[in-house]
Parts: sequence; C-alpha cells; structure tokens
Amino acid sequence: MSSVIKAENIDFAYRVLNNHQSSLKTLFRDFVKRKVRIENYQALSGLSFSVEKGETFAIIGKNGAGKSTLLKLLANVVPPTKGKLKITGTVAPMIELGAGFNPELTGRENVVFYSALLGRDIKKVKQRVDQIAGWAGVSDHLDYQLRTFSSGMIARLAFATATDEVPDLLLIDEVLSVGDGEFAQKSRTRMQEIISSGTTVVLVSHDLATVAELADRVLWLENGKLKKIGDPKEVIAAYQSSGS
Amino acid sequence: MRTNKISLYAITGFSKNNIQLLRLLIQQELTLRYKRSVIGIGWTLLNPMLTSFVLWIVFSFFFAGKLETGQQFAPYLMAGILLNTFFNQGLLQAANSIAANGNILTKVAVPPKIFAFAASLAAFTNFLIGLIPLAAVVYISGQTLSITFPIVLLIGLFMAFLTAGIGLMLSVIFIRFDDAKNIINVLLLILLYLTPVFYPLSILSEGMQKIVTLNPLTSFLDAFRWSFSNNASATTGDFIYLSVTGIAFFVLGNFIFKKYWPRTVSML
Repeated sequence: MSSVIKAENIDFAYRVLNNHQSSLKTLFRDFVKRKVRIENYQALSGLSFSVEKGETFAIIGKNGAGKSTLLKLLANVVPPTKGKLKITGTVAPMIELGAGFNPELTGRENVVFYSALLGRDIKKVKQRVDQIAGWAGVSDHLDYQLRTFSSGMIARLAFATATDEVPDLLLIDEVLSVGDGEFAQKSRTRMQEIISSGTTVVLVSHDLATVAELADRVLWLENGKLKKIGDPKEVIAAYQSSGS
Repeated sequence: MRTNKISLYAITGFSKNNIQLLRLLIQQELTLRYKRSVIGIGWTLLNPMLTSFVLWIVFSFFFAGKLETGQQFAPYLMAGILLNTFFNQGLLQAANSIAANGNILTKVAVPPKIFAFAASLAAFTNFLIGLIPLAAVVYISGQTLSITFPIVLLIGLFMAFLTAGIGLMLSVIFIRFDDAKNIINVLLLILLYLTPVFYPLSILSEGMQKIVTLNPLTSFLDAFRWSFSNNASATTGDFIYLSVTGIAFFVLGNFIFKKYWPRTVSML
C-alpha cells in the first residue's frame, strides 16, 4: 500500500515577536534598547507517522495539544518548521466550511468561487451548481446574494459544495454533520459514504464515540508530541484513563 | 529527445484551475467594489475624470503655460493621475489582499500570491478602462492619438509587474507590523510629489530635475504620455529603465515573499 501522508520528524513553531506587540514603532524602540525578543512557541515537535491510502485516521487530544495545527500542515497551508512532510494527491480540507464565502456574491457565484478555491475545474462545477443547491435545499435562493441566506442555509450550501467532489485526502475538523433534523442525518450519511468510499480521511474530533466508530487508527497528541498511536480501542482507552 | 514544454503554469507555479481562480478574483475585484452604488462600474470611468477636473482647475493657472509647445495640460494631467492611481491602487490592494484573505489562506491551500496578482491585474484593467475618457480629453484638447498608442499596453504590463512585486513585499510587512500602512501612505505621498504628475519637469531646479528623473515612475509616465498622444518626450533609456524596474521588483517581491511567507502565515 502506498502512503498518502508521510511525516518524518516534523516540528512546527509559531513565532511570537515581542509578546504580540507588532508595530514598527515598538520594534524600533526595543531595537534601540536592545530588547528585541523573538519567542518560538513550539506547537508540534518530532512527529513521525504515515497514513495509508484508504485509511480513516483520527487525531485526538486536549485543547491546545496541536491538533488543528497538524491539520493545517496536512492541508498544505503552512510548511513544517523542520522535518519532512509528503502528501500525495488532491486534498480537500473541511476545516471551516464556507471559509471563502462572500456575502455580496450570489449563492451560485459563491459555489463557483469556493470550488475554485478548492482547486476544482470551474467549468465542471458550473454544470453542477443546480444539483449542489438542490441537494442543499437552497434552489429557490441560489441567485440571491448570500447575505439574504440564513446561517443554516449557508452551512448547508457550504457542506454540499465541499463534499461534491471526492478528493484523494479529506481533512475533517469536527464537521461530520451540519444543520438540524433531516439535513443533519442527510449530511452524516453523505460523510459516511465518503469515508467508506475508499478515500483517505484524517479526522479531528473530541467525540470519542464517533472516533471509535469510524477510525482505523488513532493518533493521540499531547503538548505537540505523539503520545500514542495505533488501534482505536487501545489508544482511546489509554487517553480516557489518563484523566482527560 | 524530449523537449520541456514551457508553459505559463510552469513559470508561475499555478495550476490550470488556479488561472481560472485568478480570472474570478479579478472579476470580483472589479465589480464588488461598486456593487452597492447606482452607476456601478461607471465609477471607474468617472473617478479619474473628476479628480483630474478638480486638479485641472487648480493647477492649469500655474502650469499650463510651462509645457513645451504642442503639449496640452489637460491630457498631461489626466495621464499622470491615471498612472498614479494605477500604481497606488495596484500596490496597496496587492499588499492588503493577503491579509484580507487570511481566513481563506489559513484553511485552504491556495497559492497566496494569486490574491496579490489579481489585485494588480484589476488595477491594470481599471487603468485600461480609464484610457477611454483620457482619449476623449485628448481630442477635446485638440490633440490626436499617436500611432504608438498600443505600446501603452506594454507599459501597463510592466506597471502591473512593478505593483505586484512591491505589493508582495509589503504584504508580509503589513501582516507583521500594524503601523506599516501609515508609513507607506506617507512614502507614497512623497513619491507623488517626486513624480511629474501635475507639474512639468521644467519648473524644477536642475538638482531637483535630476532626482525626479531618477524616479522610475517618471520614466513610466513619460513613456505613457509620449506613446498615447505624444504629450511628452521619452527616450529608449526610459523604456529600458521602466521594464528593468518592473521585472526587477517583480522578481525581488516574489523572492522576499517566498522567504518570509512560511513564518508570516502563522500570524494571520
């Protein structure tokens, strides 16, 4: 089997310049007084793991353990400070749905723009817009500006757009379903379809029951370090018994 | 033997779908700004005309007689304002674009430079639209368009390179330092006075003339005025200077951005 993700000894550090006071004036003042300090906040250190094709891989850990940072690295948004990270194939991040939505554009324009941001071919997307909107249940509103949409409608449209094409690697940050009642069930079903379709999935969640149900393997992060990796049951049991 | 195909994609590092995204972004930049106004994109035509009209009333008293024979002050001034607007708009919007789209850039893997390029190319498009009222003013003042006017496209392209390059450099600085914008605004104002936008070069002392000629924007402006309606004199040197400046800043901007972006993105 081929690895979709291969991480070798990756580190990630945020740079914090003079305790967040970021202006040229203070920098100059501190420079004159020889007080320029650059602090590195180590978010991840020495992580090595790989994710195989078709696997559902979950990341668990406390708030601030580095889960979201790791997901950003996997989404190719930031490069690791040290180490090697290799990702093959197309990546679709479902980190924050509708991150590129613009309230001044119409629903249709937003679907096209959001798809373009995800690196899709917009000629194909344009033909599918009506289907996407139909699935999200917003067909009547599609040609109105997004600011006239309710927040539920925006979430449904974003979810429908993001999941319209199945990528090689899907990154999920807690978004396993959106909306309420019927749509929550519908979106959950689609998510499960995608996960079981053979796509590689990396999932970050606090919902341990869902993780146990979906994941093939689990990585437990603590303070930016790999604490335990392997079989979901074992890792979750160890995580729970650690008092978290 | 296999020959390597040189394509736009290979040079820019953008995929074919990224080029589609770039087109969408330029469209948005052009239409969204005036979305809620009555005359919409008509402002792009009106803006330079209104600004030029106000400045023309003020400055034609002082400078109209100082131009060389055959040159007209109204198109001289308006060309200056058009190009200066292009420079300021392209540069500032390219510089702001990265921070403004921070919420996208921290969640989706899009080449960040695409936003800066879109801003510069949108400013370029605005400039091209502005050539229509400029042509009208040229004819109203009794001049005609020169046969060389297509060269303006090339000058505009180098200006787009220049603004994208400087914009990319500034974008990293803007994210890191909150007060950098204010400093840049002052510098741009100084640069405006060091460019013969609304005055003829001949009114300056010899020493000042030397300084103003060193400003690459002066070469851009002379070349533009000359090729559009023969309203200034431009030398081959001007053309070399403007193209070298455009390309040099573009390369430098890309280089600096590439170097500092990984450390800057986590500040968004």
